[in-house]
Amino acid sequence: MPEPRLMENKTAAPVPAAETADLVRVENLRKHFPVQSGFLASILNRGHIPAVKAVDGVSFTIHKGEVFGLAGESGSGKSTVGRLILRLLDPTEGRVIFDGTDLSTISPEAMRKLRSRMQVIFQDPLASLNPRMTLGEAIGHPVRIHITTRLEEVKKVVCEILEKVGLAPAEQFYNKFPHQISGGQRQRVVIARALVTAPDLVVADEPIAMADVSVRALLLDLMMKLKDEFNLTYLFITHDLATAKYVCDRIAVMYLGKLCEVGTLAEVYQHSGHPYTRALLEAVPVPDPRHRRKELMPAGEIPSAINPPPGCHFHPRCPIARENCSVEEPALRELRPGHFVACHYAEELLK
Amino acid sequence: MARRWYGADWWFVTISAVMVLGFIIVAMFPGLFAPHSPDDLVGPRFLAPGAHPDLPALILPSDSPDNELIDLAVPSDQPRPIVAVVQGVPTSGALNEQAQVIDNQIKNEPGGLRLRPRIERYATLEEALQAVVNGKATAAVVQSLEFEAISAQFPTLREGASITGERSTAGGFFLGTNDIGQDVLSRLLWGTRIALIIGFSSSLVALFLGVPLGLFAGFVGGSLDRSLSLVMDSLYAFPGLILAIAITAVLGPSMLNIIVAIAVLYIPTYYRIVRGQTLSVKEEVYVEAAKSIGARNLEILQKYIFPNVIPSVAIIFSVNVADAILTGAGLSFLGLGLPPTIADWGIDLARGQRFIQTAWWMITFPGLAIMLVVLAFSMMGEGLTEIFNPKLRER
Amino acid sequence: MPDDSLYSVRNLTVEYQTRVGIVKAVDDVSLDIRRGEILGLVGESGCGKSTLGKALMRLHTGPARIANGELWFDGRDLMKLSDREMPDVRGAEIGMIFQDPMTSLNPVQRILDHLTETIQAHEPETSGAAARTRSEELVERLGIRRERLNEYPHQMSGGMRQRVMISLALALRAKLVIADEPTTSLDVIVEAKFLDLLKELQKEFGLTILLITHNIGVVAEVADRVAVMYAAKMAEVGDVNDVFADPKHPYTQGLLKSVPNIRLEEGELYKMEGAPPNLLHPPIGCRFHPRCPFVMDICRTREPAFEPVVGGHLVSCLLYQTANVKQEGLHA
Repeated sequence: MPEPRLMENKTAAPVPAAETADLVRVENLRKHFPVQSGFLASILNRGHIPAVKAVDGVSFTIHKGEVFGLAGESGSGKSTVGRLILRLLDPTEGRVIFDGTDLSTISPEAMRKLRSRMQVIFQDPLASLNPRMTLGEAIGHPVRIHITTRLEEVKKVVCEILEKVGLAPAEQFYNKFPHQISGGQRQRVVIARALVTAPDLVVADEPIAMADVSVRALLLDLMMKLKDEFNLTYLFITHDLATAKYVCDRIAVMYLGKLCEVGTLAEVYQHSGHPYTRALLEAVPVPDPRHRRKELMPAGEIPSAINPPPGCHFHPRCPIARENCSVEEPALRELRPGHFVACHYAEELLK
Repeated sequence: MARRWYGADWWFVTISAVMVLGFIIVAMFPGLFAPHSPDDLVGPRFLAPGAHPDLPALILPSDSPDNELIDLAVPSDQPRPIVAVVQGVPTSGALNEQAQVIDNQIKNEPGGLRLRPRIERYATLEEALQAVVNGKATAAVVQSLEFEAISAQFPTLREGASITGERSTAGGFFLGTNDIGQDVLSRLLWGTRIALIIGFSSSLVALFLGVPLGLFAGFVGGSLDRSLSLVMDSLYAFPGLILAIAITAVLGPSMLNIIVAIAVLYIPTYYRIVRGQTLSVKEEVYVEAAKSIGARNLEILQKYIFPNVIPSVAIIFSVNVADAILTGAGLSFLGLGLPPTIADWGIDLARGQRFIQTAWWMITFPGLAIMLVVLAFSMMGEGLTEIFNPKLRER
Repeated sequence: MPDDSLYSVRNLTVEYQTRVGIVKAVDDVSLDIRRGEILGLVGESGCGKSTLGKALMRLHTGPARIANGELWFDGRDLMKLSDREMPDVRGAEIGMIFQDPMTSLNPVQRILDHLTETIQAHEPETSGAAARTRSEELVERLGIRRERLNEYPHQMSGGMRQRVMISLALALRAKLVIADEPTTSLDVIVEAKFLDLLKELQKEFGLTILLITHNIGVVAEVADRVAVMYAAKMAEVGDVNDVFADPKHPYTQGLLKSVPNIRLEEGELYKMEGAPPNLLHPPIGCRFHPRCPFVMDICRTREPAFEPVVGGHLVSCLLYQTANVKQEGLHA
């Protein structure tokens, strides 16, 4: 059963009722990583240090109780967005508003306490678990920080969550180390650790990418079951659009630090308005030899994020690019109700 | 390929661990193993290993209750004991000397015993010995080696103690004696204690100072890291022995100062390794996960970083002790470490240098001891690296 | 050995020596690779597919060794070749592409040098200029501008590096290319283009490709035939359309049902219970029996043979061999 919430967000300003359905609101988020260049180079560039524009002006909202997918290839910035929301990174510009609280306005201590309400599941379960901590200690640590320090109670809570994720008998797993269990079991431990403080938001960054094919379905099933039980909201970061289809309610597609398209699953998958999204959907291998892909793929490869193409980042590879695409950056606009696209000529694709 | 020696790394560690354990036991209880005290002048000078010292010894009938010269002392009203010597050999002089010494010793004691032997000279060794057999003399004093050579001819006689009181153990001195008559083996065994104390203490001090500094510098970064690293790198750049010499020259010779000097030498080693490990562990996903659950920095250092950094420290500790012992021996070799009265390998090495041609055992055995200890600790460190470093193993 | 078979593997067993015992990573596996086909070899991690791929080139060293088997490549049993003769086959007749191209290419060597050196190593009579021309033509055919040959591996993207690896195989006019998870580290669009390239090369050069992957979708997109491995054994082999439309082995059935299909409107993912077995102590009888929804008593004691069910479609499952079993009589 969900643990009692021990803290309410007392620092939040009263929020208008209409907005309470948004658990997370991201406004104009930017994250630029300066490229390490030598002293001489920075002089020559007259103080302008080149930077990797990993996230370059991203805005969206995550509704309470939904599974919001964030999809893209490497270099799209999706993982960085996840870290920015969790405040594991500080943004260069922009704000993240979690349940009405602007995360840039609160003290580090308040942020620390807020973390019990937003947790993360990383891609590599072996890397996300401290090799020198037993599973019980690893899962118990957030309990100790946020709920209670009494050994008996901690152990009880940990064993409960272990059973919930399917690692039973819990006592057996309590004293094991990460390397003593299988990959699928490890990811369950990571899920347990994320859920043990009954968070509101769980950011899942490629949670099943490293699991075996036959285990993926089990893990996804577990995550969805727990979502219902704990009233969770997921930010599901993935490169696998096929899997996203099975779990996401809404989905956003990113390319080179910017959003291409945001909308419900049905809208984006069936009435896609962005050439990149279309290409992505076409490219996914279909496990059915009767339906082999016939469409051509966009030319070229993903360019560098240090000097992205001007205007629309996708224009050098876009099959329907026109002259103004290399000059004017398309804004994210509402193409159909609830369906947003950043493309000047999205209407053409809908026909 | 090393991989074919399955279990070779375990053998490595086991053998070296046994050796290390042996050294530690010897260091803790040298008295149990050493036949003599290391400072006592217990034997003749420059005695070769295993050789019997050639001393003037008292030869007695097998059934005689006496053993030493002093046992021949009798009350003044009794006839003086007759002692046979070989003509022309300076033993009689020694005998007279010793008799006088003993007399002075016992003349004030109750019982009125006096030792004033009547010395009878014989032409040959055999005649002297025959006199004892025949009862004409109470005892004979001859060179022990000469007696041992012909002792088969005189089954009724046995060798007693040396008249000068030096022990002439049948086995001799296992590793010989040094230039002033001390037993090399005993000095070696007692020296183990010094060597290990210096080695362990200095390494431990370096560890307790270097590890926390490295942890903080690696974790916090910034100017603290930069300034500390500057200091440590400068220290590290110094040739080790020279720095140690400088420090002991300033502080003066004593065991504590040696430990301090060597510890200072090795702090940068621990600092660098721990800092490097901390820097890489800091980037691991599980540390990020710890941040994401709201753990405080101190907690992260304690529970997530420290336990993952420590195994590398344990491994270099072993090799470090070996190095520290070597440096310590080097310091005392140069006469900069301990006062010369303490039995120590380095000092013995220095002493043995001069006599390397005539008494090779003086320098060889301390040298071998140093080599074996260093080898044992190094092997253990290397073996532990093989076992604990999963990247070196095949999946 | 069938006529159209380029590579016939018979009863291959590859053993690993570990601290706790011998593990058979590949256990009595037989397989035919037909000339000019793309054969997809699928299975989950630990099933032995990568080990099999490496064994085809006798690439194993150290604690792994081929314990048994025949490797009939183009009429010769490679098992009979000496260690000095094998390198001539590798690269020149059989080429290999690995999962991570970054670690397969020498980071301090320019691509051009890598290519020309390899060509000249196998064909010493080729002049430097001839080797260079061949390399340039090849990479251009594969979609890389010839100027990029002067770059170093780290200056190229993952997709490009994989193309360089293929060009190496093509440069030496290899007959067979073994691709071990070639697209696992690539983005999905790059992967799609790479798979297109494989199909083109198959058509243009008559290249035979063994594509080893855990991604069922990839196999469905490009392969002509598919082989499914489970726990070091071959579970099923057949034409890709046959196997996908009518999978015979219960493992294949479960596998196909648990893979997400982006084209399907609705549907849940099937969840396979259990986990692949420990190869140190594999289950007695059929290795899949602990997880099999159709398990029979005999599956727990008897290992199924790898036999055809319908011409060209082979399975190792007692469900299809029960008739034979009944004839021999069941001894409980």
